[in-house]
Amino acid sequence: MTNPFQHGSSGLPPDVAVTGFLPRIRSSYASVVSGSNPNQPTSSHPPFNRLSHLLNPPHDFTSDLYSTHHSSSRSRSHNLAYNHQSHAMDVDRNASSQDAGAPSLRPAVPQLPSFSRAFEVFMSGGGIGDSFWASPHRNNGFFTPSYLRGTTYIQKLEEAHKTKQAQKEGQQQAGGGGLQTSQTTPSPINSKSGFHLGMAYDLIERPPSFEYDESIAPLPTKWNKDDKNGGLEVLGDGQEVKYVSSKPPGERDYEACAIRANHAMPAQAGLYYFEVVIVSRKRDDTTVCVGFMQKDVSLARQPGWEADSYGYHGDDGQIFHGQSVGKHYGPPFSTGDTIGCGINFKTGVAFFTKNGVNLGTAFRDVKGKVYPVIGLKRTGEHIRVNFGHTPFVYDIDGMMKQEQAKIRKAISETSTENLTSPPMSETELIQQLILQFLQHDGYVESARAFAEEIHAEQEALTIDPDAHVEGINIKDDEDANRRQRIRRAVLEGDIDKAHKYTNTYYPEVLKENEQVYFRLRCRKFIEMIRKSAEVNQNNNNNNGISKQSNGRSIDDNPNEMDLDENGYSDQMETEDGPYHSASDQDALLNATIEYGRVLQEEFKDDPRREVSKALGDVYALLAYPNPFEVKEVAHLLDRRGRVAVAEELNSAILQSLGKSSRSALETLYGQTTVLLDYLREDGGSGAFVTIQSVVDEIPKQQPF
Amino acid sequence: MSSSTVREFEAQLRRARDLSEALLHPKMTSSTSTATPMKHAFMRQVDEVKSPKSDINALILDYLTMAGYPNAAARFSAEANLQPQQDDASIVARQQIQNSIHKGDIQVAINALNDMDPEILDTDAPLHFALLRLQLVELIRQCTSSPGGDITPALDFATEQLGPRAPTNSQFLEDLEKTMTLLVFRDTVDPPVAELLKPDLRRDVADKVNKAILQRQQQRRDAAIRHLVQMRAWGEEAVRKETKKDLPARIELGLNGDESDKDGLQENGHEPMIVT
Repeated sequence: MTNPFQHGSSGLPPDVAVTGFLPRIRSSYASVVSGSNPNQPTSSHPPFNRLSHLLNPPHDFTSDLYSTHHSSSRSRSHNLAYNHQSHAMDVDRNASSQDAGAPSLRPAVPQLPSFSRAFEVFMSGGGIGDSFWASPHRNNGFFTPSYLRGTTYIQKLEEAHKTKQAQKEGQQQAGGGGLQTSQTTPSPINSKSGFHLGMAYDLIERPPSFEYDESIAPLPTKWNKDDKNGGLEVLGDGQEVKYVSSKPPGERDYEACAIRANHAMPAQAGLYYFEVVIVSRKRDDTTVCVGFMQKDVSLARQPGWEADSYGYHGDDGQIFHGQSVGKHYGPPFSTGDTIGCGINFKTGVAFFTKNGVNLGTAFRDVKGKVYPVIGLKRTGEHIRVNFGHTPFVYDIDGMMKQEQAKIRKAISETSTENLTSPPMSETELIQQLILQFLQHDGYVESARAFAEEIHAEQEALTIDPDAHVEGINIKDDEDANRRQRIRRAVLEGDIDKAHKYTNTYYPEVLKENEQVYFRLRCRKFIEMIRKSAEVNQNNNNNNGISKQSNGRSIDDNPNEMDLDENGYSDQMETEDGPYHSASDQDALLNATIEYGRVLQEEFKDDPRREVSKALGDVYALLAYPNPFEVKEVAHLLDRRGRVAVAEELNSAILQSLGKSSRSALETLYGQTTVLLDYLREDGGSGAFVTIQSVVDEIPKQQPF
Repeated sequence: MSSSTVREFEAQLRRARDLSEALLHPKMTSSTSTATPMKHAFMRQVDEVKSPKSDINALILDYLTMAGYPNAAARFSAEANLQPQQDDASIVARQQIQNSIHKGDIQVAINALNDMDPEILDTDAPLHFALLRLQLVELIRQCTSSPGGDITPALDFATEQLGPRAPTNSQFLEDLEKTMTLLVFRDTVDPPVAELLKPDLRRDVADKVNKAILQRQQQRRDAAIRHLVQMRAWGEEAVRKETKKDLPARIELGLNGDESDKDGLQENGHEPMIVT
């Protein structure tokens, strides 16, 4: 295979590199390009427009903070934010363009766009779909075929995609140029399969987060112009294929010309489906063929005529597999028709659709890694594929839902008796899990209340009035009480109190768990920002959101700080307490900045990138007068962040006590996750079910 | 969106941290790796999975709310700083109905249920029948508890309340017949019939009633954790049946504290093939 972009940047218009002057929305595209292209200058990102005020902060002292901190980390957080934004947009427009159908209307960002594709925006001409790519949104995003929405496969793909991007940015930040970036992660897959596949393959290079999670198979996104036969031309965005020339002089007529997609149909998705529209043809009979085949099948023969090759032929409506003799299957198809092709990897059944009608099972026992394929034979034949960028004609979502419902039914019919020995009833098991969790995690009061209620229930259920029902003995565990006190303090945002308690009860924990210590310190900073932002809000709208109305938890008197044995306490004298006047507000801000400075001083020499990254993230909060309303950073302030810190601290304490850091319920959650992963690997039933769907049954809580 | 963002950010941070931890403190990791080789690959993978506390906490509160443990739900939402999922009064109301059924006060439960939602029994004939049948069982229990007990009240109840309903549904009829054998044979009943006298029937009916109320209140019947537990059981069955993946002979939940890890080790000690 050759790669047209190996010498990549030669074809890249120079202005692409000047990311800083592009609208913000382009930034991440640019960073991908620069991160992956050896010839692009990378370290010189000029600040993005939206961030420009950061460089002229309202207070002099902030510049101190930033002086040791280069701007790229801030650009990172913006890139992340952008991703979320664009994703949301994607969903939005998806919905609104349901009926539009035309690819050009759809801004959905293609997932894993190889940069080669990104380049096409600038390089290629012609083709109906060009406007499809005109939007910069397309260049760095992620598309989700409607029927795969919410599946673990898509979630993992997206995670991998983001991790990859973060890695690239990180490597840029680490001071390396693009050259380093592309060479520090050499991959056998990469060198073998062709560099032009770009990001999609790069994805696989990341160190997997689970050892069994070897790779996430990417989705097909376009036709592979390097994997075709004869006079086929891939147009524009890679979605269209046209038969342009008949035969090269001196050669006999091809039997057919076929082209494969850039990636195989991913079995991990469980169900995969794509549609092809016959755009035009020259003669009356269409010889277009839609199907799928393995990588090593000849592209000079019609799909279906070889082994490991499957096709539905437009001229006679027959299906072919492994031989040139067809089987009657469906109607012929021609210009204007939309032909769909899908595989259910769980059952091994492949089917076709015509204009939204399912034609039924075409093949059984489909195995192996198969690629979408299209076969054309006559000059002028022209097709366009939909790999899921736009809504499908056939209701594949409905089929997916049916498959998911089948699995859900099977799950609900499964007995849970064997999960424990001796067997327990489901209700009893759940009660035990919950009771054990409450005790394990130090929810002392809850555990006691629950034990009492279970006991009362058992008493009510006892038929013999004289029988004695054994109560559940909840140990009055001093450690549990202490841990709960510490947790409570963190959840209330009183980091100092939590710090103090931890050092008093478990003096070694923070010394031995430096990461937890760091997180606690960062959270303290975030809480200070929160406080000043709240005060700010209060002052701005007199009857505005008070800190009490903002949540249920900031009710403790935070002034009872009496710790001095800890080296850090001297830095925080000025914070906390009611600040209402403008000068108080300033004092609070000063205290926050001062604390930030100390934090920076303490960790500035830390070589770990995630430390500087985390610091950069929290410092960025200072830049906004009201960070609550800046959605790019508001999530950092979210109360849920407290939960994470509290639990990390709790786990550290548990570990220091020699206890398992995990409750049985969490173990069960972990086991289920791994089991579902196992079941999804080859497109088994695990692809049709997610653990998240269980959690999503619970009505959402208000985040603030 | 924000919570998932945070979670994702944390997951990234943690991953990065673990990596750097491994680089910076080779001693630490080598000590852990000497401890882990005996662990089954599956167990190690399980250890890798992050179970987001916010999800776990939500599952807990959801169960306490749905299953009707008002005190525990209130305590937990306070201790874990979560917003209550349902107001206390409606949890208490459901709990009281369940409690009446658990105690065998079926008429009290039926009255309370009608007060709460006058249509619920009219629209759900099987539920109504299940309650009445339980009421009959309780009557039979009462009159058979003493040697010379009068069975007339039970007979009357069966004739008046259950008799007319039974023919509408073959399951009803079967259930009624089975219940009536209790009355006839008293002490020498078959085991399947004797089952009816166990408290399980009360629990079962109370569950049904609770679910029916929930269904009408929030369009959900089961607490989410139930589906998680079922998913875990199904997942193990399916992996053993459909894949060639290697699983430990028995996957412990670790309900009995920290012994689970030890169990896992012992178990794998018998399977030298798996040791890496």
